[in-house]
Amino acid sequence: MSPTKGTANSLRSRRAVREESALGFGDGPGPLERFSPRRLTTWVGRQRFPLAAPTWPGTVVRPAPKHTLGVDYDTAWSRRYPVRLARAVVLDNITRPLARVVASPEIRGEDALVGLEAPVIFAANHASHLDTPLLLSCLPNRFRHRTIVAAAADYFFDRRWKAIAWSFFLAAIPIERAKVNRRSAAVAAELLEDEWNLVIFPEGGRSPDGWAQPFRGGAAYLAVRTGRPVVPVHLANTRHILPKGRTALRPTHTTVTFGQPLWPGEGEDSRKFSLRIEAAVAVLANEETTDWWTARKAAADGTTPSLQGPDVATWRRSWALEPHPGDRVETTGPNEDGLKPDSRRPTWPKRPS
Amino acid sequence: MKSLVLERNVARFAASRVASLIGSGRGAGVGPLRLLDATAPEPLGSDWFPVKVLLSGICGSDLATVDGRTSRYFEDMVSFPFVPGHEVVGVLESDGVDAHGQPLVAGTRVVIEPVLGCAPRAIEPRCPHCAEEHQGLCGNIAFGRLAPGLQTGFCTDTGGGWSEAGLMAHRSQLHAVPEGFSDRDAVMVEPTACAVHAALSADIHEGDTVAVLGAGTLGLATVAALNTLVRPETGHSLIVGAKHPAQRQQAARFGADMVVPPDQLARAVRRQSGSLVLGGRLTEGAHVVFDCVGTSESIAESLALLRPRGRVVLVGMPGRVSVDLAPLWHKELSITGAYAYGQETTIRSGAPRSARTFELAMEVVATHHLGELVTASYPLERYEEALAHAGAAGRRGATKIVFDLAKSGRNPSIRPDGKGTP
Amino acid sequence: MSPRPGFVLDVDSSTPPTLFWRGERFSLEKLPEGSRVIYAPEPLEPLKDPVAAIRHALTHPVGDQKPLPDLLFPGMKLTIAFDDISLPLPPMERPDIRQMVIEQVLDMAATAGVDDVELIVALALHRRMTEPELRHAIGDRVYDAFAPNGLLTQHDAEDPDALTHLGLTDQGEDVEINKRAAESDLLVYVNINLVAMDGGHKSVATGLASYKSLLHHHNPATMVASKSFMDQHRSELHSANWRMGRLIKESGVNIFQIETTLNNDTFPEAFSFLQKREWEWKARDRVNYLASAAALNRTPPRVARGIFHNIKAPHRMTSVQAGEVEAVHKITTENVWAQQGVEVEGQTDILTMGLPYISPYNVNSILNPILVACLGLGYFFNLYRGKPLVREGGVLIMTHPTTPDFNPVHHPSYIDFFEQVLTETTDPVVMSEQFEEAFATDPWYRHLYRTGHAYHGVHPFYMWYWCAHALNHLGAVIIVGGDAKTVHRLGFRSATTLTDALEMARDVVGPSPSLTHIHTPPILMADVK
Repeated sequence: MSPTKGTANSLRSRRAVREESALGFGDGPGPLERFSPRRLTTWVGRQRFPLAAPTWPGTVVRPAPKHTLGVDYDTAWSRRYPVRLARAVVLDNITRPLARVVASPEIRGEDALVGLEAPVIFAANHASHLDTPLLLSCLPNRFRHRTIVAAAADYFFDRRWKAIAWSFFLAAIPIERAKVNRRSAAVAAELLEDEWNLVIFPEGGRSPDGWAQPFRGGAAYLAVRTGRPVVPVHLANTRHILPKGRTALRPTHTTVTFGQPLWPGEGEDSRKFSLRIEAAVAVLANEETTDWWTARKAAADGTTPSLQGPDVATWRRSWALEPHPGDRVETTGPNEDGLKPDSRRPTWPKRPS
Repeated sequence: MKSLVLERNVARFAASRVASLIGSGRGAGVGPLRLLDATAPEPLGSDWFPVKVLLSGICGSDLATVDGRTSRYFEDMVSFPFVPGHEVVGVLESDGVDAHGQPLVAGTRVVIEPVLGCAPRAIEPRCPHCAEEHQGLCGNIAFGRLAPGLQTGFCTDTGGGWSEAGLMAHRSQLHAVPEGFSDRDAVMVEPTACAVHAALSADIHEGDTVAVLGAGTLGLATVAALNTLVRPETGHSLIVGAKHPAQRQQAARFGADMVVPPDQLARAVRRQSGSLVLGGRLTEGAHVVFDCVGTSESIAESLALLRPRGRVVLVGMPGRVSVDLAPLWHKELSITGAYAYGQETTIRSGAPRSARTFELAMEVVATHHLGELVTASYPLERYEEALAHAGAAGRRGATKIVFDLAKSGRNPSIRPDGKGTP
Repeated sequence: MSPRPGFVLDVDSSTPPTLFWRGERFSLEKLPEGSRVIYAPEPLEPLKDPVAAIRHALTHPVGDQKPLPDLLFPGMKLTIAFDDISLPLPPMERPDIRQMVIEQVLDMAATAGVDDVELIVALALHRRMTEPELRHAIGDRVYDAFAPNGLLTQHDAEDPDALTHLGLTDQGEDVEINKRAAESDLLVYVNINLVAMDGGHKSVATGLASYKSLLHHHNPATMVASKSFMDQHRSELHSANWRMGRLIKESGVNIFQIETTLNNDTFPEAFSFLQKREWEWKARDRVNYLASAAALNRTPPRVARGIFHNIKAPHRMTSVQAGEVEAVHKITTENVWAQQGVEVEGQTDILTMGLPYISPYNVNSILNPILVACLGLGYFFNLYRGKPLVREGGVLIMTHPTTPDFNPVHHPSYIDFFEQVLTETTDPVVMSEQFEEAFATDPWYRHLYRTGHAYHGVHPFYMWYWCAHALNHLGAVIIVGGDAKTVHRLGFRSATTLTDALEMARDVVGPSPSLTHIHTPPILMADVK
């Protein structure tokens, strides 16, 4: 386009825009007139009503907004048949192959699920965003396509697009991390009764430092309320796939360990049951680093290392998790502090960052 | 000294015909009309007097001639080469005598009654029409001592108005310009006389509905003539179809009861006459329609506007037309022409009165200041522009375009407001 | 959520532009800060079971009237008259209220063994309805049962054989109404009350009257004295009708009046943004607006007209009452007010309004320039009770393309009125003296009115008289975006943009005028304090 022609063009379009300004089309050059993402965003930002949403007159009292996000987001649509079908296609053809490549999961204890009747609650430790797709990918077929995921309402459901994306891809439902919200718990319980399996991360969020956080009562509460079993699951090494502060995925070998389903005992309250679940996951963690027999013994002795790590200074907790040059992988028990300096060392050699 | 001369040249006639398709008056540049050096016409006899032309109008028939659109009917009624221009106000160059036998001194302003009947042709005895002073109907227009030519401005011997060299006028053609008339008023007398003749020949009765189709010079002059000469006796209602806003204002000023765009004329006539509509025609309608356009369409529309036994008066010069005459037959309509002038009988306050058409025309011009219809004047040299302007007069807010022979070589004076004197 | 009442918005700098109708188009216009915009109340909840409500009304009449079944007996002469095409606006989705009511009335008549039943469209001087329009209004069942036997007729105000002169009122007004209606044992009138002007004695005294009778109240003097004609108690138009109505009653015509009201749910889903407050427009409303505005700007007016006149409104019935005329109408008026009333504080210097594509007189037709004037100065201007929205000497600004387009079938005399009367005068009094009679008695107009689908020859005069009060009251009228020549012919001033119009208005009302915009449709009635 010659410069003169360009000028003429922009003149024309500006005039056109002026003429249409009565219609509310914004001023300035159109979006396609020498395209660049930056121009586009400024152009979009400059639009006014009706291209942009109207502003509210200052003279009109604005009614309290109706909450349709967060815990109040209605995910019913994501469980309709066509959406389930679309999700299944994505899960089987995109998510699972990707999970294979990125996480190369080794699945252990799958036999614990044999003969187990749906619906069940999968309670897992939580170290990475990738835990959920990984876990979903690793579930046996009969569970995989009828499983919903309890996701933090304040993180996954705070924007409409996020709410839509997570409900679609993961069949996520919003729950509150801090406490048992009556509405979200009711929804989850209802869905369990409706034969949906539930994945829940009882820590209430991703681990801030690699060590687990105390398990909250949600999973136990639902199990007690619905009388369904909880399958403890341990996910190992996932936090190395997407370390904090990095955007690129780092393929890592991971392990997914399923434990024996736990049934809430007669008259057992959810707090106690929650501790049981946490302990079960801790045994699985121990089993992943040692072997089944060692872990059982430790469990019997009550010496299973805590998932939450030692109660020491922050740097030592971190130190304990990070691999050290020259360390060897040992399968010895914990030292006197309960620390296993090398136990979590990745099998993949660490690249210089 | 220049004059515009029309020569017989078949090729040029054909060319102008083609050029006129672009627009009326456009034939001037390529047609048979040429600007030549001219000498005054030869003296023709003792009853003929030289007249120096002041203003000479461009008439619709002139445009048709220049454009080569004139009906071949007139072919033998003209003699080539001739100087066009029959709407003339001029100054007598010698002492003379007017049509009534009154002496006129040199320098008197005169208007020419252009018909060349028995008297100017020195035919004795006069034909029955000339004997009754209806010169317009004279059939001797190609005979006698003059070359053929139905009017001054179509005859090679007399000269015509579009000439700086002047023309020769017979005493029977001369009318002194009344006191108080501007040149522009005077040049309007001839076209007004045509309108007066049409208005008086239409046989309008009391309470009739009258429609005028077209609001060019003739249409407006007809409106004025009807208003001055006929309405006081008949009280008819007058509806005018006028295309252009200036025309509508003028028609209203000249006394039309209702002025509407041409496409609304039928509706207006229908409502005025309380008529029903059958097959796109009015069942009742107007008593008289003056067709001041003269095309197939205008004549067909005029017929559609008429009540049974109504009358169309063709004021504009028509040519070959194609019209469905079934309504004419079925409703017993008449189509009459109205050409030129002569002696008229009018009813004034119940009593008949006889007068020359030209005298009545002067009355109309005086009453309505028709000189204001002269909107632009051009020197001869700019004749192409002048004719184009005349051809698009209505659209350009003009009515009558004239040549100003006194100011050849100067710029045209265009007065769209019609004010002032040329 | 219960429907919100009407609302007067104070425009501030955060207020989004306001929707203005422009005939078959619309635009968003930024109003000056400090302007007011009046919004109609939201649609009221409709009756849950309209049929049951109708039956209840028929069997529980109000005022001095017996239940309908008690009035029906074998061998009687029963006439059912109903409102014509001018109501409601836009025409409602099927089933039309008239159909629902008439079916119930006929049901009761059949039960009572009534044989002699006729239906009459009470169209006064309006155009006759076409078959599809009638089918839409009264339903196929009723149409097929009555029309083929000639028992469905359209009132003819020019048929001397079908009119009865009942006498003169105490003011000397002729009362001449439809003969069949007058001679029936019972006249059931089925009304739709869209605006407060409709109904009451006006139903029969106007809807079934002759030209001679209408003449007494359809004239400039009456209209100037009707302030406004939407307010029955301050309307000379209504006083005259009430006098006539009482005379009709005294003459022994037994009228069983059935009046209904509608909610103002005016536009279907795709156009619902037209009745929403702009700052509450959802993304979908904005998309609908942008798409339809852009499309309509590129659509020839003819096509756009076709699209709009195909719109059927989702109006629903909010009340039905039956019985004695005055008692019924009192309730009806209250119900109309409940739906349309908006309280407005004080008058304004400048009143702006966007004129839509439709008025009562151009359903399935063209809103010609005379109807533009009537819609703005007649209808919208008069949507007030108490004082007019705009102060005396104030300015009215309307947006409409106002092209000189006419429907020659429906409005033949309008064309002549436009070309032959408005070119002479725009003064209602002068035109009524000089031209009205000629138009009213014109045999061709009469023929078209009686046999075709044309409004009566005199109708354009009435439209202009409707404006008389406003013309008297206003300092200037400005049409924005109209064809300038046409606007001048109407005697108004023409402006290209609203900004220009406001500048022009300042010349009339002073430098810092107050401005109020009336956001109709949906219809609202301003209660100006």
